[in-house]
Amino acid sequence: MSDATAPASTAKVTVSPDEFTFVKYDASEIAAIVTELAEQLELANPIRVIVDETTPLAKVSEEIDAVSSDATITLHAESGALEDRKHPMSFSADVARESLGRILLRAHDRMRPDFADAPGDLDLTLEQNAAWDTYCAGRLARMGVRVNQQRWRYNHRNRFGFHDDVDARFDQLWAADGLGWADLTR
Amino acid sequence: MRQFFPVEDLARDERFVQTNMAERMKDGRTAIDVEKQSSAKSRGATKRLTPERHDASDAARGLMHGIMVGEIQALEGAGRTAHDFAAGDGTNDTVPFELKLDMARQAWDEARHVEISAKLSDWMGTELGEFAENTVLFEAACSNDPILRLAGVNRALEGLAIDVFTQMKEFGDVAGDPFLEFCEDWMLADEVTHVKMGSDWLRKVTANDPDRRTKALEFQQVVDKLFSFGGARGESADSSFSLARRFRELAGFTDDEVETISAMDAEALEERKEAVRKYRERVGADA
Amino acid sequence: MTDTSQIESTARPPFAPWDRRDIPGSFSVDETARRVGNYKWTEMKLFEALGGWVATVPELDVKMRLGTHCYHHAWHADLWHKRLPELREMKPERLTVPANAAMERFIEAMTEPEAPELTIEKLVGVYRVLIPRFIAAYTYHRNNTSEITDAPTIRSINFILQDEFDDWRDGEMLLQSLITTPDHVRRAAEHQARLEAIMVEAGGITGPDSIGTAETTSTEGGA
Repeated sequence: MSDATAPASTAKVTVSPDEFTFVKYDASEIAAIVTELAEQLELANPIRVIVDETTPLAKVSEEIDAVSSDATITLHAESGALEDRKHPMSFSADVARESLGRILLRAHDRMRPDFADAPGDLDLTLEQNAAWDTYCAGRLARMGVRVNQQRWRYNHRNRFGFHDDVDARFDQLWAADGLGWADLTR
Repeated sequence: MRQFFPVEDLARDERFVQTNMAERMKDGRTAIDVEKQSSAKSRGATKRLTPERHDASDAARGLMHGIMVGEIQALEGAGRTAHDFAAGDGTNDTVPFELKLDMARQAWDEARHVEISAKLSDWMGTELGEFAENTVLFEAACSNDPILRLAGVNRALEGLAIDVFTQMKEFGDVAGDPFLEFCEDWMLADEVTHVKMGSDWLRKVTANDPDRRTKALEFQQVVDKLFSFGGARGESADSSFSLARRFRELAGFTDDEVETISAMDAEALEERKEAVRKYRERVGADA
Repeated sequence: MTDTSQIESTARPPFAPWDRRDIPGSFSVDETARRVGNYKWTEMKLFEALGGWVATVPELDVKMRLGTHCYHHAWHADLWHKRLPELREMKPERLTVPANAAMERFIEAMTEPEAPELTIEKLVGVYRVLIPRFIAAYTYHRNNTSEITDAPTIRSINFILQDEFDDWRDGEMLLQSLITTPDHVRRAAEHQARLEAIMVEAGGITGPDSIGTAETTSTEGGA
């Protein structure tokens, strides 16, 4: 595993694999992006990034091993989640920032006491996933990460329906901050 | 203007990046379990483009972008066929005048499909040129024989369009999307017309030339297999979209033809799996 | 027995007072067929060019418009193709010819630009030279042919002219949006001038009398 050396107040990020075979990704570049995002979120936890390069799909998920400031955050990403869609098998920093930023925000949310009831990522329903994605994508956009709002609106509509009240709820979640799990899923 | 136009010269603005099948097949990654025997399962399987997939909306966006660039190439292909061959009796390098008119009509239809796809891409939050454009569709139209073009474009390519649009239409219907199902249905109606144009002209122009007809149908099968995209189309649970049997029947495909395509799709899937297995073995040996 | 003085007469003049159409026209059947053959040839060349150019232009909106217009002119060619046998020309291909050698050279010059950076030249040739000439020739024909004996040609011209005006507007607007620098202006003007010179040599889509001459009378060739 490669280490990103950084001051103690910065997250220690490791990336696996440290060398890629199926795709042209660079582990240190991934580590640098995650480090930058963690700094913006003031997260100092150790972070492991595990990339599945055998599949072109783009599923991402996160888990934390405890609710504490030294808990290890693990980010799982299928290779498509970090990929330059115009140049298959090539890395895109923008796409990686958006994908990893979203799940890092989730991990950050899980550290809050009012997220204690949130199921693990793999146990979330499609609707819970979509609502949380909207909430994370909106905050990511305000952090200065390049995010296409219409893409997330469409995702939200696909899960909840193509109605005005669904759009209104999307707008609320997109603009929100400091929500608990119950607020997110009401 | 040159009589024939090579695929590498297709004009695009700077948003678009083009790739081809050779490049695509170098990708050793796959979402398919290469060790598992494929089978035709129910639609509940995860690879199908249905709203139940965890990545449903992103998969739909990617497919819609593929449809849009496919329509651009279909427009270009129809336009070239209207241009490339002089009006005549159908022998040598000529085509009947009415066939040229049909190709011009198809160009109009495809232009409309580009317009529709561009609007849908906007609706779905996809940027133009967001994904790589595979030029395989125009390459199928590139033959210098007008009859092979009809076989490649109007039967194989438009047949693929029927399959993909049917999948998207069903997706939109289940998801309750007010535009997707509506738009895909209108485009489907046009594609049925295009396939019929191809079938009718193939028959008429080769009425007295059975060898030419055989060659055209063989070429169509080659293109059909290419358009399986390594088993992405197929009736197996590992395929993203299936053969739209009902609409193909409306468009004039016979049961035998559909069964042949289905068998080729299954073959393409197994070949893809084998290629991925070999790639992984090689990569594992080199590591 | 019927009282015939009470039956209302149904005898009316064959032309209502507001129907001012008359017989005289400038073109005989043969002359009309000749012109229609020239129209068909030119519409064919135009739709082939538009179809061929679709793959060569990078601008997406232009690409789509060319595809749509390709069909319009193909349909015009089809209308003329069907009109020719009605004008006693049982082999339409015999009259599907350019008006003269200069018209053939015009089409070659118009279709010569192919490179992707020459969208301005492609559109100028069609929308600032050829289509205005079509509008002129069709208008002249419609206004000078017999409204009664040649009604089918007039009907087709009316439908076609609607397309020509719409396509002209589309093309002109695309050009105005593409021509944004002095160099663009120069390119457009030079290409237009080159093509106009050849068109002047041809005399127009049907030759020297495409839109009549000072000596043309309203009864030339007609009743």
